[in-house]
Amino acid sequence: MKPAPFDYDDPRSVDEAIGLLARYGDECKVLAGGQSLVPLMNFRLARPGRLVDINGIESLGQVKVENGRLLLGAMVRHAQVERSNDIAARWPLLHDAIVWVGHSQIRNRGTVGGSVAHADPAAELPCALAALDAKFHVLSRRGPRVLRWDQIFVSEFTTSLAPDELLTAIEVPPQDPSTGVAFVEFARRHGDFALGGAAVSITLARNGTCSDVAVALLSAGPRPVRAEEAERRLKGGQVDEAAIKQASAAAVQGLHPTSDLHGSREYRVKLLQVMTERALTKAVHLATRRAA
Amino acid sequence: MSAVGTPTRRLEGRDKVVGATRYTADLDVGGLLHVQLVLSHLASARIRSIETSAARSVPGVVDVVVAGDLPEQDVAGPDQPLATQRVFYAGQPVAAVIATSEAAAHDGAAAVEVDLEETDAVADAVAAMQDSSPVVLDVQEEADEGDASMHGAAAGNESEPVERPRNVSAVASAKRGDAGAAMAASGVTVKATYSVAAVHHTAMEPHVSTVRPEPGGGLTVWSPTQGPFALRDELAEKLDIPAHKIRVVPMPVGGGFGGKVSLLEGLLALLAIRGNRPLRLVLTRRQVFAFAKGAPAARFEIEIGAKKDGTLTALRAKFSYDNGASAGWHGGISSAFLAGTYRWPAVDITGYEVSTNKTPVDAYRAPGAPQTYFALESAMDELAQKLDIDPIELRLRNAVREGDIDGQGAKWPRVAFIECLEEARNHPLYTAPLGAGEAVGIAAGSWGGARTPSAAGCRVEPDGTLSILIGTPDVSGATTGLAMIAADAFGYPVEKVRIETGETGVAPYGAVAAGSQTTYSLGGAVHEAAVEARRQLLEIATEQLEAAPEDLEIVDGRVAVRGVPERFVEITELVTLSTQFMGTFRPVQASGRSAVQTASPQFTVHIARVKADPETGAFALTGYAAIQDVGRAINPPEVEGQVHGGVAQSVGRALGEQLVYDAEGQLKTGSLLDYEVPTVDQLPGIDVRMIEVPSPVGPLGAKGVGEPPAVPGAAAVANAVSRATGVRVRDLPIDRSRLVIPS
Repeated sequence: MKPAPFDYDDPRSVDEAIGLLARYGDECKVLAGGQSLVPLMNFRLARPGRLVDINGIESLGQVKVENGRLLLGAMVRHAQVERSNDIAARWPLLHDAIVWVGHSQIRNRGTVGGSVAHADPAAELPCALAALDAKFHVLSRRGPRVLRWDQIFVSEFTTSLAPDELLTAIEVPPQDPSTGVAFVEFARRHGDFALGGAAVSITLARNGTCSDVAVALLSAGPRPVRAEEAERRLKGGQVDEAAIKQASAAAVQGLHPTSDLHGSREYRVKLLQVMTERALTKAVHLATRRAA
Repeated sequence: MSAVGTPTRRLEGRDKVVGATRYTADLDVGGLLHVQLVLSHLASARIRSIETSAARSVPGVVDVVVAGDLPEQDVAGPDQPLATQRVFYAGQPVAAVIATSEAAAHDGAAAVEVDLEETDAVADAVAAMQDSSPVVLDVQEEADEGDASMHGAAAGNESEPVERPRNVSAVASAKRGDAGAAMAASGVTVKATYSVAAVHHTAMEPHVSTVRPEPGGGLTVWSPTQGPFALRDELAEKLDIPAHKIRVVPMPVGGGFGGKVSLLEGLLALLAIRGNRPLRLVLTRRQVFAFAKGAPAARFEIEIGAKKDGTLTALRAKFSYDNGASAGWHGGISSAFLAGTYRWPAVDITGYEVSTNKTPVDAYRAPGAPQTYFALESAMDELAQKLDIDPIELRLRNAVREGDIDGQGAKWPRVAFIECLEEARNHPLYTAPLGAGEAVGIAAGSWGGARTPSAAGCRVEPDGTLSILIGTPDVSGATTGLAMIAADAFGYPVEKVRIETGETGVAPYGAVAAGSQTTYSLGGAVHEAAVEARRQLLEIATEQLEAAPEDLEIVDGRVAVRGVPERFVEITELVTLSTQFMGTFRPVQASGRSAVQTASPQFTVHIARVKADPETGAFALTGYAAIQDVGRAINPPEVEGQVHGGVAQSVGRALGEQLVYDAEGQLKTGSLLDYEVPTVDQLPGIDVRMIEVPSPVGPLGAKGVGEPPAVPGAAAVANAVSRATGVRVRDLPIDRSRLVIPS
């Protein structure tokens, strides 16, 4: 196993990195944790002419909380998120999602920025970030941009990042402490690409009605899917078993996940519905406890 | 105290665990060059041209070789070391790049341009039997039953000269009684079609070999081969070199399971001779899937009948093996198992060996048995449900016993099928109450077991260590058991015994480590060698101690006069006396031989408990037990380990292992991402129960143990899942979607 020959740069600053991206553009790929890119290169399914390795840029590896918002540098490893007590307490959905990512060896090396930039529709992190209404900080010599999840994720393995742009940080808004969250997925074996999964974040008012809810699905389409119809139905109402069932059915209306040898479209839709139902049930249970 | 039967750690285990074992790929050889293969990207094509100039200009590339550069080989098209005019499967080697580094060889291989003219491919065995199908193999070859017999299976069923469908290279059949009439008179019948996917050994160590040409026209071959002598003889024949000029050095085997007798060595030898340089080739995982031969898919149409009381009446079966671009040899094995596991008054069995444009197949742990027993034991489970009889009870009423007719029309020797079933019936996993969504499934299996004449050498080292020299590599921990046998025979603790697997130039002849035959075939030879070495040693001591040999004993590294412990001589002293300059005693140099005359067939029963998720089709194994007649457990934990591994492999066939090809013959599961080897969290603890009905002929009563555990697992899991979900599983691996979405 060996990738096709390539040129290699290891910049030590963001400025140096975006300089290289500006200069080489399309020719190069950014190397973060390498957990997807390197296997693709070893299989020679990806043959970038040049790698810009951002592992040496210390400033990208920091987890910060500013004005109640979580700022994850692009080079923050999955394992850092997994082991952060602060994140587990204040952004539990992120924690719940990250433990589903691959295996511990992959989480030790894989990065949040890499997961976003790779834009695999079966990836856990983009789905959770969609549920959390995260924002994505992007920089190039042309200046900074801040993108919403539905602006950065375009399609399978495709983001709206221009060839000269570097994803520098992910910003997650503060979460209401009474919110209940759940992340569930179905994979053939633990660590395999999920055939379907759901991230749910739900807040209940004192009277038990739903005051806020986000339902995001993974492996449901070419990019993370927010189940807006399900959210609309849940908002303002009592969230009982019947409501959850109805919302889950609504969540998968019109979905067209791709059939492949691991699961037909029909089976994947069925799984997505079941995962949504289970995630909602679990999140509502937690929210009810917290609201009480 | 006897070593045999006492739990003993594997002699080579520590080195493997700490990473000290030196495998073939770790070996340094002076002047070594590296080889990479260019594999065909199409399943059926004519070779228009192979452009090598770009590859030759890659830095480090020494040579690029195509078929025309090598001497002609008298073998079938798919077996050519490099494809000549046609390719028969995607993954067939078409060119070899030789370079100064592994990396340069990879870069060179990527630069070879292979221009192929695609021809019609057939990737499905049923389609291949249609008259409209393309013909896969140029010459219809007869199936080679030699391969089957090597694995100890009951091959050799009579092939009838029936009209063969297209792409069928051989027909296996068995007939007894009037199956049609018996079926018609049955109170209850089950008729269904079962399919088993192709799977791969997926040994941790990929296929690898180093070949060095030697002065005088010889070769040294370092390979993790299961059969050094078989490999030597194969190379001698292919290369027309006398066998004694080829030294095969057996290297530690990082997983064999039938897939590592020979693969790369013939090509490497030709390339090494051509360039007169030592060469190494290590396959990548993707190449292992595409090029190294896995186990065939099979399809069984089965009808079985019984009286209302559960007495079996008849079996009819039509089956086929999908052998890829090879002739295949599993059919006779299947036929024998179908006909000989239960007391069928009437059978009518026809099986076809079918060729398709896919990677050729070969032996994988109990070849043919997991496929056959999945079909047979699923049908038996369906029958039990139809009859509303306990599935173990149904089997007990019909299981073969000593004297019953076996699959080839001979009589079964003493077998322990009944004992295994009785043990299963009383096993707590079978009798404990079931939780919600839970069910228990059982399945039986058997294996004939191979045997090959073998020899062993023995001497005593200066420090007193007893060295046993054999020619069979250790693929399973068998050498620890052999050391225990030697220890008892000699009168030593096992710590003072070492087993050396020698290269073919010096090692005594040894069986291929396959067919559950290593201990069975070599045990007697090792025992005899150790007994003889003891006799020789005591002979020397006799003169030293002035006592008759029968009055001597070996205690604590000394030879002492029985009952007079102060009259002794150190064994190290005896070694010195018999090896020193001007010495007068002959050195201890013993040999032992064995040729076990008959097989000792093994039966096994597995119990699987599963809990199914009615919404997703997921299921989890909540308990597992394997009951097996082992004759006599030489090293009980080693037998248990063998059973654990076999269970994982047979259960893997149910959980998700499969080689999936598309209609054009392209492999869709060619990496460990898509080829689902079971993970440790999918497997529960496995309770192993050993039944010990001693073999009258095996060493110390031992029978083969390696293959039976790889047989019934898939059927046991499928039967449990079928009972838990109410959806009958008839295809492996189990399609979870079918459990929740009606087809």
